[in-house]
Amino acid sequence: MFYADTPGGGLITFEAVTKRYPDGTVAVDGLDLEVPAGKTVVLVGPSGCGKTTSLRMINRLVEPTQGTILLDGTDIKERNPAHLRRGIGYVIQQTGLFPHRTVEDNIATVPVLNGWPRKKARARAGELMTLVGLDPALAERYPHQLSGGQQQRVGVARALAADPPVLLMDEPFSAVDPVVRASLQDLLMSLQAELRKTIVLVTHDIEEAIKVGDLVALFRPHGKIAQLAPPEQLLAAPADDYVAGFVGFDRGIRRLSFVSTAELTLDTGAVLPADATVAQALAAGRPWICVTEAQRPRGWVDVATIAALPGGTALGQVRAEPIGHPFTVGTDSLRAALDAAVLSPAGQAVAVDDDGLVLGVATFDQLRAAIQAADGNHDTRQVQHAQEGPPSL
Amino acid sequence: MMWSWIPSNWSLIWQLTWENTKLGVLPALYGLVISLPLGVLAARWRWVYPPVLTVVNILYAVPSLALFIALIPAFGLTDTTVIIALTVFSLCVILPNVVAGLRAVPAAVTQAATAMGYGPLRRLATVELPLAVPVILAGLRIGVVASISLASVGQLIGVSSLGYLFIDGLQRSFPTEIYVGLFLVIVLALVCDLILVAVKRALTPWAPRPERQPRRQQRRQQLTGAAS
Repeated sequence: MFYADTPGGGLITFEAVTKRYPDGTVAVDGLDLEVPAGKTVVLVGPSGCGKTTSLRMINRLVEPTQGTILLDGTDIKERNPAHLRRGIGYVIQQTGLFPHRTVEDNIATVPVLNGWPRKKARARAGELMTLVGLDPALAERYPHQLSGGQQQRVGVARALAADPPVLLMDEPFSAVDPVVRASLQDLLMSLQAELRKTIVLVTHDIEEAIKVGDLVALFRPHGKIAQLAPPEQLLAAPADDYVAGFVGFDRGIRRLSFVSTAELTLDTGAVLPADATVAQALAAGRPWICVTEAQRPRGWVDVATIAALPGGTALGQVRAEPIGHPFTVGTDSLRAALDAAVLSPAGQAVAVDDDGLVLGVATFDQLRAAIQAADGNHDTRQVQHAQEGPPSL
Repeated sequence: MMWSWIPSNWSLIWQLTWENTKLGVLPALYGLVISLPLGVLAARWRWVYPPVLTVVNILYAVPSLALFIALIPAFGLTDTTVIIALTVFSLCVILPNVVAGLRAVPAAVTQAATAMGYGPLRRLATVELPLAVPVILAGLRIGVVASISLASVGQLIGVSSLGYLFIDGLQRSFPTEIYVGLFLVIVLALVCDLILVAVKRALTPWAPRPERQPRRQQRRQQLTGAAS
């Protein structure tokens, strides 16, 4: 696509940045933060923690009292604010769309500011509408004629129109309902997988931070960072009680979202096709048998209830319990596998491949072993991050 | 009512209507031209507005005839005197609307404009003023209508307008003339007002107006599923 050769860049560095307002309030206090180019860094924290102020200092909507902010090594104070901002996309909660401009002209704003002919800018707007999943038929609508979710898609398209290396997003998805929010988050993640922008996103929603962030900077009140870490590390090893409290009590379970099921040991002995017999099921020596039909899961059979049946009875004719939901090996996380096991009458999760064909089953014991292995691996992963040179506090 | 009076005085009526139109429209336009920069300053620097508004309100409280008389030493019994006085009055109704219109531009919109790299002047010209147009034009409508009716008073210092028909009709105890004058002032005000409504429609195709939508357009939108 036309983004494939997006030039790199977009490294943002905060060096001892402080923002003190005339009334003495300290919004940001000696902030050191490095946002690696091409990564999504989420600033999260309670209201009044300085996260939005920090964001707005990047495009000079707010000027720091002390300290320096560098963009690709250049002090942003050296740059003309208007020119600096045209290279930084900006998305806000209230969308800030221009009510008097059509969708396409809203999206074309920065290209037009950069001197593109209107026709070319509108063509570009059309490409972006497709990119963010907007029906091109909406091009000549005005913002008030769109739903909240559509408006925010326009907001994202407008921010991306001039292909800036940096994208700032201030509570971008907070004003829409949870279903739309989830779809916008998914949109952002799929765009980011393709575009590799440097994204700084502000939210008060720790779930959102964990979902979309490569790195999460958790702020304390008054502008200090409590912990800066990849989301799985934030869940696994909160720096202190403040972080643990903010992250929430079920962080142990949520952390499993980041553990792959690719390495999980599966039990293949508990799987039999529908034309296998009761005798075979008894011989397998498992309390539950996962019966398959054309290699797809058909149901769970409780071996204790079939012991009295004639040995030649086909398993396909025996009453089976529903399997609940299976998990896809390698694609789904350990959290999904654990959920599948909890919901299954057999207390085991059925593992399938990408085509939905059964690979085996996973018992609680096997899941527990995988969880423990993940804990063991955790240290090595931290080391990897350190070698890549993540931002230091 | 003596209908035959109308055709036999056609050219007088036409002349007076034209004079009254000028005395109504020009002051409102001048008022707009002065209000725009003043309003922009007042909207940008909030401390400017209270003193300006106080002066404007005091001027507005001055009776129109008194203001005409006060201006006579400088400008004589001329159109200029009336136009200046009426400009002051329309300024009084237009300026608050310019300020209100600019202040009503959502903060998120101006912030987004700045964040996208608009300079202050360009933002004012292409974002803030266009968005303030509905409120500014609402002020202009009041200004035009007020000037059209106040222009009659100018007749008292001899500046011709439809007011002539009132004074002449009264002096000659000839009601037909008064009725014709009254009718024309009202029609003139209505026509100017409708023109400004049309101008507003043309300048703000983006403004939501669900109730005023023509039926045909509504139906078309329903067919294409746009109304949802």
